Amino acid sequence: MKKFWAIFFWFWPVVALVLCVMAPSQGWWFPGPPGTQMGERIQGLFELILGIVTVTFIGTNFALGWVLWQAASKGDDKKAFYSHGSHSLELIWTIVPAFVLLFIALYQMDVWAEYRVQSFYPEETKQGSVAEFMARQFEWRVRYPAIGETLKDEAQPGDLYMVNELHVPAGRPVKINLRTQDVQHAFFAPQLRLKQDAVPGLIIPVWFDVPKAGNYDVTCAELCGWGHYKMKARIVVESQQAVDAYMRKLQEEQTEDGFVEEAAEEE
Amino acid sequence: MSLTSGRFSWLTVVAISASLAAGCSKSGLESSFVYSAKTDSLIPEAQSGIKGQAGVKKMVDDRFGNPQHLKAWSKLPIDFGGVTASVGETPSGKAVKEILLQFEEGITSPSGDAVSSVQFVGGAAAGETAAVLSWDAESGKATLVSALTGSPAQGDQVVIGGGEVIRNGRVLYQRHCSHCHGTSGDGAGPTAEYLNPRPRDYRHGVFKFTSTNSSSKASREDLSRILKYGIPGTYMPSFLLLKDDELYAIVEYVRFLAMRGEFERKLVTELSVDYSKASVADQTASGTKRSEIIEALTAFLTEDFSDVANSAGDELAEAWSTADTEEALVAPTVGRVADSPESRRRGRELYLSKCADCHGVSGEGNGPQTTIFEKLPDADALYPEAGLHDEWGNVTKPRNLTQGIYRGGRRPIDLFCRMNEGIKGTKMPAFKTVFSNEDVWHIVNYVLSIPFEAEPGVSPGSIAPATPVAPAAAE
Amino acid sequence: MATVSPALHGHDHADSHGHGHHEIGFIKKYVFSTDHKVIGIQFLVTTLLMLMVGGALALAVRWQLAFPWENMPFLGDIFGLFRTEGGQISPEFYTMLFTMHASVMIFLVIIPVLAGAFGNFLIPLQIGADDMAFPVLNMLSYWFMWPAIFCFGTSFFIGGATAGPAGGWTSYPILSAIMEAAPGSGDAQTWWLFGLTLVGVSSMMGSVNYMTTIINMRAPGMTLFRMPLTIWSMFITAILQAFALPVLTAAGFMLVTDRLLGTVFFVPSEIIVNNAEPTVGGGQPLLWQHLFWFYSHPAVYIMLLPAMGMVSDMLSCMCRKPVFGYKPMVYSMAAIAGLGFIVWGHHMFTSGMNPALGMTFMTSTMMIALPSAIKTFNWIGTIYDGNVKFNAVMLNCAGFVALFIVGGLSGIFMAAVPVDIYFHDTYFIVAHFHYVLFGATLFGVFAAIQFWFPKMFGRLMNDKVAKVHFVLTFAGMNGTFFPMHLLGIAGMPRRYADPYFHTYLEHLLPMNQFMTFSAILMGCAQFLLLGNFAYSILFGEKAGRNPWNANGLEWSAPSPPGHGNFDEPPVCYRGPYEYSSPEAEALGQDFILQTSPPPAGVKKADPAHH
Repeated sequence: MKKFWAIFFWFWPVVALVLCVMAPSQGWWFPGPPGTQMGERIQGLFELILGIVTVTFIGTNFALGWVLWQAASKGDDKKAFYSHGSHSLELIWTIVPAFVLLFIALYQMDVWAEYRVQSFYPEETKQGSVAEFMARQFEWRVRYPAIGETLKDEAQPGDLYMVNELHVPAGRPVKINLRTQDVQHAFFAPQLRLKQDAVPGLIIPVWFDVPKAGNYDVTCAELCGWGHYKMKARIVVESQQAVDAYMRKLQEEQTEDGFVEEAAEEE
Repeated sequence: MSLTSGRFSWLTVVAISASLAAGCSKSGLESSFVYSAKTDSLIPEAQSGIKGQAGVKKMVDDRFGNPQHLKAWSKLPIDFGGVTASVGETPSGKAVKEILLQFEEGITSPSGDAVSSVQFVGGAAAGETAAVLSWDAESGKATLVSALTGSPAQGDQVVIGGGEVIRNGRVLYQRHCSHCHGTSGDGAGPTAEYLNPRPRDYRHGVFKFTSTNSSSKASREDLSRILKYGIPGTYMPSFLLLKDDELYAIVEYVRFLAMRGEFERKLVTELSVDYSKASVADQTASGTKRSEIIEALTAFLTEDFSDVANSAGDELAEAWSTADTEEALVAPTVGRVADSPESRRRGRELYLSKCADCHGVSGEGNGPQTTIFEKLPDADALYPEAGLHDEWGNVTKPRNLTQGIYRGGRRPIDLFCRMNEGIKGTKMPAFKTVFSNEDVWHIVNYVLSIPFEAEPGVSPGSIAPATPVAPAAAE
Repeated sequence: MATVSPALHGHDHADSHGHGHHEIGFIKKYVFSTDHKVIGIQFLVTTLLMLMVGGALALAVRWQLAFPWENMPFLGDIFGLFRTEGGQISPEFYTMLFTMHASVMIFLVIIPVLAGAFGNFLIPLQIGADDMAFPVLNMLSYWFMWPAIFCFGTSFFIGGATAGPAGGWTSYPILSAIMEAAPGSGDAQTWWLFGLTLVGVSSMMGSVNYMTTIINMRAPGMTLFRMPLTIWSMFITAILQAFALPVLTAAGFMLVTDRLLGTVFFVPSEIIVNNAEPTVGGGQPLLWQHLFWFYSHPAVYIMLLPAMGMVSDMLSCMCRKPVFGYKPMVYSMAAIAGLGFIVWGHHMFTSGMNPALGMTFMTSTMMIALPSAIKTFNWIGTIYDGNVKFNAVMLNCAGFVALFIVGGLSGIFMAAVPVDIYFHDTYFIVAHFHYVLFGATLFGVFAAIQFWFPKMFGRLMNDKVAKVHFVLTFAGMNGTFFPMHLLGIAGMPRRYADPYFHTYLEHLLPMNQFMTFSAILMGCAQFLLLGNFAYSILFGEKAGRNPWNANGLEWSAPSPPGHGNFDEPPVCYRGPYEYSSPEAEALGQDFILQTSPPPAGVKKADPAHH
């Protein structure tokens, strides 16, 4: 019975590992390949940590099971090993993890800097943002500058509006101005592996570079009220021509006066 | 793939079972439609019927069912959902109870439990709707509950199905909409009381923001537009990313709920003069015996009530199907007047003459009308709170035009519709009788410029101030 | 006297002791008691009840995730909250459920069960004092829990039957600052904040008391490095609490004034929520996050350290071995406490604070993993080559270590800023903190209840039932929370009433259903604990003074100890973990009480490391 307990403590980590190995094939893993280069690097860092953690996980759990197994194998009257510890072991398991952890920390800095420190942003994003992405309870309001204009923080007469759908060109870094009209929200694009809170009172620039055209989900990741889960939007990444055509279509729609059709019929 | 059942029989109601996958199976608790407060104001006999005669509640339930078992009243212009097929071989005999159906290529035979009715579109049985007892998807054989009166021939068009659209609509509605708008569409779901403005109560059949003229209902397109783009400035969010068929199903279901509510109201209106609790109390006070009133009610329910219901249905069918026609659509006779300082100035003058009463001189929605106490619609008293009230009895603030938020949409045509045709159910009137289309466009131009004014009445940038007129300043 | 059984002996003593003083009535003895043992048990029973409340809320959350928008059992039909909707809950009700689940579990279960229940019961007993330094303050600290429970309870329905506080337990402004921001942001939120403040007051009274007691009232010979690790952990926790709590209390007051008096500490200008008037002001919502996490990160350790201390004690006893690396254990706890004050920013990596801060906080956060690692290795070292007693105490302690490994390792992902960009506010986080708070802390608590139960009530809990409880809870816990890691990796955000609205999450429904079944299993298993607890108080096997053959001072007192705890003021001769030492061997046993005078002729054990 005692050995049962040692096996019990070995059993669960094995189940966990099997589950993790199975996960990608079952769809319990990242939603698709990373959509951005940044996302790829983030996922790379994740995998690096996952590797280190898995080794540690296996090691410690094996050790835990093993010390229990060993104890279970011995008789009840066996005398315990009288020891207060080992100075050298303490040193080893302080210094080694310290270096590993420090390594992980330092290794991450570059990606973080590129993602968030404005002076590290790609050149292309410095000309301005392509759109304002404004969160509100419970949707994302998009405001583009008029064709040929640049985006201003304040609304301008020719601005183009859309909701829950952002069109951006593929293959070049673009920047959006993340804002919120009411409470705090967070912009979360799972396929792009990006997240940034939208904080009341702040305009936060977020940049990304999506090489592949396609639709990418956007959700809200900061509790924003009862309809938190309703904040479903998407980023449509397409060629520059398609974006230009889309903008023209938006402009056309937005100046719709309901008259053109009538005139055509009268002719 | 779809049918418009309104064209067919006169009073055909087909039951559609619309249980949510597990809401039903897991426990006995079922969601239910509620009746309006006006129904509750009737005497119990009028509500629930007497001597086997249907009262308001049964009349409504017979035609609309309850959320788990919806009914399709084919009179109504609602796409309940169905699949077209044709009669495979002419059935022999007079009283046809079994027919074989064929499907065109590309249309799959619906599975067993989805089929609850067959409607005949063409041939001798055209207009008939028959309930299906059993359906064999493999062979295409439908066994009917009762025999047909006409005898169909091979090739006759039929529509079979159990109302997929409305059923799907109900499931989606329950998931996305009902916590605000309520299971019955009464705008009183559990979340509703915390929202400002309150969610729409569809049961009046009135929707505010439409592209149809002031006397018409909302079109399908209008409802779908609201679903897709939301109503900025309110808690109605955008459901842009729902699939098209999902949006379509929700629109049909919302129309279904609107018609149910309107139908109920029409019946109640018919009865409330004589048989409301208040009126019966008045009558008995002035000497009429209660039994006499009940007798009259019984007679009315027996002889006239189903006609009343039928004509109410016809009115609904007429009104709602018209809304989807081109005649109902608002069409300006002139295109938008080019946006210019002159146009805006003209717009501002007109604005001050009419709109400022409510929307205020500076457009902040604080005109003098917002401070008066209005009269209650059906009582000789005033509303307890100041302000303009809408059809639902809520205070509606005239829009603050300085924020650049336009609930009904920001396209010029949207603003044109709001001004020319008014906003249904609210105190915003249709100005088409007051202003020419051209003048309305001037106001549109002015209103669209308000958010960018440096100060009230003064346009920014290259646009010259409204007064004094400085011709040179206009480019 | 020596022939009398310990239990009877204790009883005699308690009586004779009582005669010396004036008689105290029932109310003073059991209700408004100033006796630390009674207060500790009061805390324990209260928190166990609250555990069930919090658990029920959690199951409601899980129900919605497994069967979204379907009739919720009990709430739907019996209470009839959502009758016309067919029992389908509303989304704001869901936000209330998880908000209150977290609030109840954190503020009314985890913090009070560790510091309140075990801190109170164990501190005087383990250091050889007759009571706390400030007994009345101690009593107040318990009785301030009830107003807090009352406030939290009121917040459930004050804003409407289905709209309790819904800002999350972190209650970030603007959501929590503006009354109109959400259905639960009205009066409900205000009452919630009052409740929070009262819990703070209660904890503060406790921690002042603990610090004073531990510093001033140790028995002769009980030097700092002879204190059991439980006492060290309570001491460090008390210090953490004393320094961090005022910040939260201040922040709470600021938020209350923002809400009620119109100040704008956290509210920027021109914010329009629910068509209310635009706000006026120059506040900053991020300020709240800084203040909140400045408390709440140390609070994470307040919720963990005492369990670590107690588990060290119990492991050592159940393995009949000294704790492996006593001093490193103490230093690592101190390091956790110290570093705990400079890592709060890792909750805010995506909040938009200065990115340079992100790097600083990442480094400090990575470093705080180190002491935790050391402790884990030391626990395994403690078990190594011991004479392990495989009873429920041991199993729960081993469970603690196993689950803490998972919780600790998953923390590294979030400490890394870039990786946290993706994982922030996903289910990965939920998995992580449940492994730490439920997996580690609660298993520590389960062990501790089992272990000190005989000291509290003079009877043993049933070991078989406790083992079944352990297996079911451990299986249910892993079944519920391990898949959450995968949900997080799949990008499922927290706090979604209907995650399946998002197409990329649709396929996760079966997984969520499995988790819900596991959670139900785990919830049901807790009735075994409660049943065992209640049954054993009345009918459990009688225990003597030292049923576990442990070393601590508390085991030299009667079970249960009478008023004043000890027969005579104890004197401490050695450290608490001298199991299987030569001294003990000389007495023919594998333990030696801290109070036993050194046997004549035996050389004192060499404390040097091997």
